[in-house]
This record gives sequence, C-alpha cells and structure tokens, in this order.
Amino acid sequence: MTKTRIRNLTRLPSPKPLRGGDANFMEQLLLHCATAIDSNDAALAHQILWVLNNTAPPDGDSTQRLTTAFLRALLSRAVSKTPTLSSTISFLPPADELHRFSVVELAAFVDLTPWHRFGFIAANAAILTAVEGYSTVHIVDLSLTHCMQIPTLIDAMASRLNKPPPLLKLTVVSSSDNFPPFINISYEELGSKLVSFATTRNITMEFTIIPSTYSDGFSSLLQQLRVYPSSFNEALVVNCHMMLRYIPDETLTSSSSSLRTVFLKHLRSLNPRIVTLIEEDVDLTSGNLVNRLRSAFNYLWIPFDTTDTFMREQRRWYEAEISWKIENVVAKEGAERVERSETKRRWFERMREAEFGGVRVKEEAVADVKAMLEEHAVGWGMKKEDDDNSLVLTWKGHSVVFATVWIPI
Amino acid sequence: MTAEDQTISSSRGYVQSSSTTDLVDHHHHEHESLNPPLVKKKRNLPGNPDPEAEVIALSPKTLMATNRFLCEICGKGFQRDQNLQLHRRGHNLPWKLKQRTSKEVRKRVYVCPEKSCVHHHPTRALGDLTGIKKHFCRKHGEKKWKCEKCAKRYAVQSDWKAHSKTCGTREYRCDCGTIFSRRDSFITHRAFCDALAEETARLNAASHLKSLATTAGSNLNYHYLMGTLIPSPSPQPSPSFLFGPPPSQLHHNHFPITTTTFDHHHQAAMKPASSLSLWMGGNINHHHEQVNIEDRMAPQPHSPQEDYNWVFGNANNRGELITTSDSLITHENNISIVQSKENANAATSLSVPSLFSSVDQISQDANAAATAANMSATALLQKAAQMGATSSTPPTTTITTDQSAFLQSFASKISDQGQILEDGGSDKFFALFGSNSVGLMSNNNNNNGLHEIGNPRSGVTVVSGIDELQNYPWKRRRVEIGDAGGGGQTRDFLGVGVQQTMCRSSSINGWI
Repeated sequence: MTKTRIRNLTRLPSPKPLRGGDANFMEQLLLHCATAIDSNDAALAHQILWVLNNTAPPDGDSTQRLTTAFLRALLSRAVSKTPTLSSTISFLPPADELHRFSVVELAAFVDLTPWHRFGFIAANAAILTAVEGYSTVHIVDLSLTHCMQIPTLIDAMASRLNKPPPLLKLTVVSSSDNFPPFINISYEELGSKLVSFATTRNITMEFTIIPSTYSDGFSSLLQQLRVYPSSFNEALVVNCHMMLRYIPDETLTSSSSSLRTVFLKHLRSLNPRIVTLIEEDVDLTSGNLVNRLRSAFNYLWIPFDTTDTFMREQRRWYEAEISWKIENVVAKEGAERVERSETKRRWFERMREAEFGGVRVKEEAVADVKAMLEEHAVGWGMKKEDDDNSLVLTWKGHSVVFATVWIPI
Repeated sequence: MTAEDQTISSSRGYVQSSSTTDLVDHHHHEHESLNPPLVKKKRNLPGNPDPEAEVIALSPKTLMATNRFLCEICGKGFQRDQNLQLHRRGHNLPWKLKQRTSKEVRKRVYVCPEKSCVHHHPTRALGDLTGIKKHFCRKHGEKKWKCEKCAKRYAVQSDWKAHSKTCGTREYRCDCGTIFSRRDSFITHRAFCDALAEETARLNAASHLKSLATTAGSNLNYHYLMGTLIPSPSPQPSPSFLFGPPPSQLHHNHFPITTTTFDHHHQAAMKPASSLSLWMGGNINHHHEQVNIEDRMAPQPHSPQEDYNWVFGNANNRGELITTSDSLITHENNISIVQSKENANAATSLSVPSLFSSVDQISQDANAAATAANMSATALLQKAAQMGATSSTPPTTTITTDQSAFLQSFASKISDQGQILEDGGSDKFFALFGSNSVGLMSNNNNNNGLHEIGNPRSGVTVVSGIDELQNYPWKRRRVEIGDAGGGGQTRDFLGVGVQQTMCRSSSINGWI
C-alpha cells in the first residue's frame, strides 16, 4: 500500500524546485513549527518537520545546515514534550558529537575565525594599558575558551610593558563541562602549562583554580576574591569573555534582582582595576519560544556562513558546537537552558547600573584588530562605536561580537 | 589599483548602517574614493542591483576578452574605455565625430554567463564589469596563477599578487613543526604545545633537586591562598592549586619563588613533609600522554624516586604536583609579601578616563513588536507543496520502508489519518497540506492521548517582527531567487533523489 502511494506521487506535475536556501521561508516554517509544538499541535508539527527535513538536507548549503540544526532542536523539543513521538522521529541522522579538544587543538580552533581572537586582542590591549606600573597583576579569567587568551597576554606583558609585573596571578573557576567547548585535560594541567610558558617569558606566574559555578553567579569566586586581601599595588583584572551569559538572569530566576545583577554588584565592590566584557550581541533570553527562535535564527546564521567556505572536516566541530547551542536555546527550558545571551545594549544597562563606566579602546588595539581581520575572510569587519566606546566585530555588516572595557566609577 | 579597490569594496555586502562602517582609517582615505567624507554613496548590496539598471549579459568569451573596446577607425582593441578614448584622440577626428554618443546614462549591471551560478539571474546581477569578470574568473575560471611558496592557486592575477605579498613573509615555526602566519596564533599554540615542556626541561636540567621524603599520604598538595579558602574540606582535595615556576638557577637568581603559598590555618590539607620534586629534575619521564583527571585526583602513595617525576601535567600518568615544605619555609618572606595585609588598594586613586554616554538608541531589537502578520502555517505548507513536492527519480525500496515506517507509526497515533495516508491517492495526500483536510487531521488527534487541539488552523499565525527585509537584509537574497536554469535542488517527499544544487557557493549575500 505504501507503494501505491508513492506511485501516485510521481504522477504529480513537477513544480519549480524548492530553493533550499530561501532563508526567509525556512525561518517561517521553523517559527510555525515552534508554535505548533508548544501548543501541542502534533499533527501540524509533524507536517512542518517533514517538509523541513525534505527541504533542508544536513549536507546542503549553509542556510540548509542552519535549518537542519534548528530542525533537530525542534525535534528534540517535541520529543521532550511528547515522549511518545520519539519513535516516529528518526529520519534525521544523529548529530555530530561534540569534540573534546586537546589544548593544542583548542588553540587552533579558536583561531579558525576572528570570533574569539577579536575579543582577545581588544581585551589584552586594554589590560596591558591598565596594569602598567603595578607590582602584582591579578587576572581573573572568566572565559569560554579555557584561557586561550592568556598566552598572548603573557607575551605582551613580557615584551610590551616597560616593566613587566613582578608577579602575575591568574585565577580561573573550575571548568563547568556543561557547555562546549570541552577540553580533555584538567585545569591543573592547563595551568601548569601556562605557568611554564610564563617562565619562558621571564614572568613569574601563579595559577589558582577556584571551585565556583555560573549557576550561582560565581558566588564562591567573589567571596574568595573579597576575603583574600590584595597585596600592595595590586591590580585586579576581571576578563569576562563569553561567560557572563551563563549566569542566570531575570528570565530564569524571575525576580527583579537576578544573579547577573548580583554578580556585577559584587564585582564592583571588589574595585577592580579593569573589567573587560566580551559577548555576543544577540538576545536569547525571551521566554517566548517563537521570539527566541527568531532571534537565534537571525543571529546564528552568521557562524554557519563564516565557515561556509571551510572544508567539511574543519567546520564539522564548529557546527556541532553551534548546533549544541541551538538545541539549548530551542529545546531546553529552565536551568537547563544555559545560553542566555543578551544584547550589547542590555549589557551596557547592567554595567552602568552596577556603577561601571566604559573606556574606549586604544587606537593601536583597533589597528591590531584590523590587521588580524585582514587575514581572515573578506566578510569580516569591525565597527568602532564612538558613542559607547565599544568595538564591534561584524560579519558582512551584521554585528557579531562586542568588546567593551569598564572601570569602576 | 584604485579600480581594484573599488571592485573589492563594492563586493562587500555591508548592511547600510548609520554608524561608522569598517574602520575609517585616515591613512586610507585616499583609497576610499567610494566614501567621500560628506556624502555616503548608497551602495547596493552585491547581487541586489538597482532595478532601473540595464542588464547586460556577456558571453564568457567577451567577458574574458582582453580587448573589449575597439576603435572604430583602426580596429585596435583596448582593455579599458579610457584607453580607447585616449587612442581616438590621436586620430584627429573632426569635432562632431569626437563626441561620444552619450550612452552611459543608464546604469549597467552584468550577469554571470555561467548558467548554474547564482549571479546568472538578472536579479542577482553585479554592478561592475570588473567585478563580474573577477567573479567569473574566480568561481568558474581556471586557476592559472600559482603561488610558488605554498600550494595555493588563483584564477585572478590580482588575488595572486595580493597573496604572494603576504605568503611566507612572516612565518612562525613551532618546534613541533606547525607553521603559523600570525604571531598570536603561534604564541597561543606555543604555550600549550608539548614541545615547550621539553624545552623548559632542558633549560632546567642543571637546577638541583630539592626533595624530601614524602609522607604516605597524598602527593597532591593543595595549597590554599592565604587565608581564603575552600571553607569545607572535601573528601577529594579541592583543587586550588598554586604553583609557579621553580627556581631556575640559570635565570632567576633573584626571583622570589612563589611556588606555593600555604595557609597556616588549614592543617587538614597540609602535607608539610611531602616532597617537592622540582620540575625538570633529572629524572623526568617525557611521557606526553594526557593525564586523566581521575588519576590526578586520587591521592596515591609515592616512592621517593618517583617524586622526581614532576610533571607539568604531561610527564607521567600520575602527574602529581608536589611541593616542598623546605621551599615553603624559605619562601616565607615572599609569602608574606604576597600576603601583605596592607589593603592599600592602588585602584582607589584612579582617574576616570572617558566615559561613554548613555546609550539611548535601540538597535536591532530581536523582540520588536510584531507589526506584520505573516503567512499562516497552512499557507506556508501549501506553498511548500506547490514548490518542492516531487522528484523525478523513483524512490528506492529502502527509503520507502523507512518512510513507510515513519508514516505507519505516525498513522498509528492518529488512526483516521492512517486512512488518508494509505488509501488516498495523490490528491488526498496533498490535501494534507491544503486547507481542507488539515481541519480533518486536527479532529483526529484525540485518539491517543494527545492533547485536544482547540485552535483552528487558520488561527495559527506567526507574526514576524519588523519588516524582515529591512532588519535582516541577508535574507533579501533569498526572496527573489528565480529558477536559474532549473538546476535547483529537488527532493521528493520521501527524501530521495536529491540533486545537488548547482551553486553551493551561494552564501547568504551572494558573496564573491
């Protein structure tokens, strides 16, 4: 009987082929599907999922792969809402597993595109300027990239400062292992490598790991920093590279004062010399799935597009991570949904509220960023926003990542 | 050079925005002839030509011809129009004939002659002749230009030249053999590369070992920052390590060793008698395996011999980090420096540099209030049905089975629907996606414990945000893609017979 059906299908006139790359169309389908899933309209959800599956092959162009990632996420959401559906939804090949990087692999990975290096350059330049003359420099690195920013910072301190700091302290929080990228060594080992590297640059470095987690707003970390008195002439530098987005905000804790606010307030009370904040300029916090999906779709096409010309092996890991993020944003709720990025505007509001003031990045840094971008694909660009002193990394004109520098006011 | 710049800059799909795009670097101002300081010329995004423009389709031969401009008098050919005009002057034409017929009034856009290309369609034409030439060359042309140093090949000579300038000019080579073109990638790699450990091992081979007998306890010492700490001792020693570079007699004779600081108050974790094996002591095993976290965390008894196998995480499986009490004692002074209770905070006397002004404007707001209602779900599905339903290849049995399994299980949930799926002919099947039977399907959902679906299909609309095309111009490309020669991607309902799309390279902005 199924054969009968199939033959009937082939009798149909062949229409104009569906452009898999029609992003608007894909988006609409995804949004409708999301609505259907959330309103328990299984039938409609099924229809749309099926159509999507047929129009967006996982090995298609970047828009199709983007759509596939969203499709998977929606499926995952549908299944978690209606577990009986899980048997029916098997037409997609399983997603790529997340790679567990060695540190050397991760070092290469973060340089695939300027996504992270942009923030590294901007932040390091600001840090370097801020710590000149201090005897002790204490860096708290809250970074998604497992300290990938640090080697160049150490190198810069050793070579570019008139007088490198006699003591460099690096503090990190224990690796959460709840979101990618994952590394395959412990932070102890990571730290030891950094320390020995610092030695080769004639910099004395101490490495500390503090068990603390984003889910409580890094309260243990803040407590440690508060209790631990800083030494004479010590500069406290807090480098926040794509990490603060994991601290629960008002949409999760649903109170007027979220852990995010508390974190910033306590951070301010530590009187840091400088705080660098690098985040992705997108709002993924909406409680409404449709809005959230729309935001995510209209932002996450960018990473897919930036690696479109890469070879499949290179971008496989990269896309797996973006897909993980999409799944987290679309399919998870509550505390499981950790990806709660906010827009630059919103972060600015928070920083101002916490009594931080923005500092502009120096021209040299801007030139360094520009030089770096030249080495990557032509679509990468940079905006220097004079009105708020931020640097924004752009892809084909769209804002991707913003880099900002703050001091207590 | 300027023409090339123009071409390159005009092919960048930048969103029109009010803030400074790209980096306005004063030194490059003279090259930015498209962006005079006062007037911002409105640049169309690539592949979105001015609708009023005249579309020119040149054949590949003409496009690549080097002498497109011919002198009508002597027939000599020139690459550029300006050169032709210069040449014509030499013919001493009477005044009337000197005038060129004004034919440049209408703006011209060019299409790529390659049928399968995204830019073949008039709506995706490119505005610059040089641009289309370069595009054609890059995408569809033979890569005749080869870099001597690396393996890269280029179809466009200017691309090749640009690459040759930077290729191999600055090369950073790690001891492990990897080569980097950028210094910061090199530095980052170097810090983590195993080759570094070997180098530092060699450097410190001369330093003598300080070792003490180890206790039977853990060789993993957790040293706590002065006073602060991990309040409750956990069964697993909490990982708050402090370790620093060992005294290297070769380099840091005067450097205070801040290898460890420990807290006098927390005896529980203190193992004062444990030994320090200075890293890079004589007996280092250069095992480069990565250490398991579990291995490291488990306290293990150690023979004194192995104490010397200090690791920075990669020398042996048990990668222990050990410290000397002896060195601790000697470093009391240093510790006290670090531990200084002076709370003089250097940060207090900061002067406040430029502060940003309040950010008032709201840029793209992802949650913008919905203004335009979009197509309903049924309309979308109908469109999908019309557009991409069938394939021309007969499905294989395997696929059939999979899909039929899917359908059957689907059907088992909604029994009445099973009827529709299995018995119906094509029209009924398609009716699934039409507005009529959708209502049918919704009525049959109650059977298997699925929730009632109250809302009517037509009520399910998803309102979009602000005009999509305005805020998300990257999607604009997709809206009007016509059928460029029928080579599009087709899939039948069963997911069979995908014809690979012709122009995979069509990135979002029709990027060249």
